[in-house]
Amino acid sequence: MTTSFNAGTLLAPGTWIEGKWHHRRYRVERLLGKGANGAVYLVRWGRSMEQAALKIGYDAVDLQSEINVLTSLAAHQTKRERRMLQSASRPFLLDVDDCVLGQIEVQFYVMKFVEGCTLQQYMDRQGLEWLGLIGYRLLQKLTELHHADWVFGDLKPENILVSEFGHVELVDYGGVSRIGRSVKQFTERYDRGYWNAGSRSADPGYDFFAFAVLWLHVVDGARLRRLSTEQLPQTRQPSDLMALVRTNVKLKPFESWFKQALHGYFTSSDDACAAWHQLAIQNGRRTLSPPVKGTTPGWLKGVFIASIVLLGSTLYFMLQS
Amino acid sequence: MKQILLITDGCSNVGVSPIVAAANAREEGITVNVVGVVDQGAIGELGAAEIAQIARAGGGMDRIVQSHQLSHTIQMMTRKTVVQTIQHAVNRELRQILHSDANSIEDLPPEQRSQVVQVMDELTETSELKVALLIDASASMKPKLQAVEEAIRDLMLSLQAREGKSEIAVFHFPGRASDETVMDLDWTQDLSNVRSMFQRMQMRGATPTGPAIFKVIEFYQYDKMKGSDPALRNRPETDGMLGDYVV
Repeated sequence: MTTSFNAGTLLAPGTWIEGKWHHRRYRVERLLGKGANGAVYLVRWGRSMEQAALKIGYDAVDLQSEINVLTSLAAHQTKRERRMLQSASRPFLLDVDDCVLGQIEVQFYVMKFVEGCTLQQYMDRQGLEWLGLIGYRLLQKLTELHHADWVFGDLKPENILVSEFGHVELVDYGGVSRIGRSVKQFTERYDRGYWNAGSRSADPGYDFFAFAVLWLHVVDGARLRRLSTEQLPQTRQPSDLMALVRTNVKLKPFESWFKQALHGYFTSSDDACAAWHQLAIQNGRRTLSPPVKGTTPGWLKGVFIASIVLLGSTLYFMLQS
Repeated sequence: MKQILLITDGCSNVGVSPIVAAANAREEGITVNVVGVVDQGAIGELGAAEIAQIARAGGGMDRIVQSHQLSHTIQMMTRKTVVQTIQHAVNRELRQILHSDANSIEDLPPEQRSQVVQVMDELTETSELKVALLIDASASMKPKLQAVEEAIRDLMLSLQAREGKSEIAVFHFPGRASDETVMDLDWTQDLSNVRSMFQRMQMRGATPTGPAIFKVIEFYQYDKMKGSDPALRNRPETDGMLGDYVV
């Protein structure tokens, strides 16, 4: 029997992929990652051997569905661009084609390659001070999607690519769903339904909920893991997630935002985005991290006041004499 | 769209072969998916082979998972089956409409494929869906029933987000008599009022998987009858089952 290609097969570096319809040739450099719908490779193509990202689908229909989303987003973006004269920030489609690997015909698409690492890696290396800015940029991306009538759906650290100075890019559009429909793909831990906090219908609030759990995962992963495994499914609730936020020094400054996201209070994406922005700036201005749940003991306050009084009286007597 | 989702942990041992039963379901237009649940140890070669065979005969999928993966698995299976059912129907249409060498959507050029998939996505979301869950309640399944119930509730949550009408019904087997299949829940679109799914359950050793699948096929048929216009029931040409009324 001849060995044939299947969804799990890895393409070796140096493999050539040639499109059946558009006849473009791509040379595989290495695997970038695997998503729910397919595997993404770094490839080189064209006369100047430019870099690009090529995704091979596990299933023709699922991949096409994702391609349709990307096409529709690109169309929406050009309209917006004309209005706002902004540069293209979304990874747009370079090519869509089929090819034969082994004995099987597979479908693929090619998009712009973005250099970067996953959100978790970036935060581990660069520190949590980037939280405000990266969160804000991520919310901008989500808001843009919401304005185009889509919800991202499967928001998780693996689907966020961060490049130098905290620039973010959403990758893997397999979970993107029309507002009002059901969420196509989700990951339990970030799912609103899993936490008994609402439905699995695609609305902007679904993304904000996942966004909130996402940061809990990045900043306070161990406690979140404990919370999701120790509890019975029917007792999981957003207020438990809130308790984690309140007792985490890094997330505490964003408490009001998390509360609204986890309880589904945000009524507009622009509001959610602006609220985060505000808090991020305020938090950066601070020179001391805010107290987490009354950590200053009463006696310390007393001693502080006493020392002020002492200072005042010393000065008084010094100036008197 | 009709589906049976069988959740079991081993081999059937009473009555007609579940593979025959699944093939019968397929004939009635019902897709059969099978999930094998194992917590300790393996499901056994025989059990795994039977699970795969039932799914193949029933035109569905099979997975062997641990209880904590159950919710995710049945959610994914149900959704994938909807997509596949639509895909089969679309491929059939394509064969009729287009020239002979394009007989599946993979053969279409990317631009046309995009349009076809758009229609398919629409149907996936809006078509009516019925899923009958069939739970093996033999003694060895007892510790897993909590996870099964959670998975069913989770599935309902996903289905409620669909635009099309989505209903589930729940059965378990064996019942009081070892050949009996018990309905725990009639077609419903909402589980929030259902306190506990499996109350009348008595754990027994026998596993009559085949007869249980037949029982659900029968239930689907009865459902079709019940759904027809009562005014038409006395007319022999529309409903042959009620021949008693014909003089």
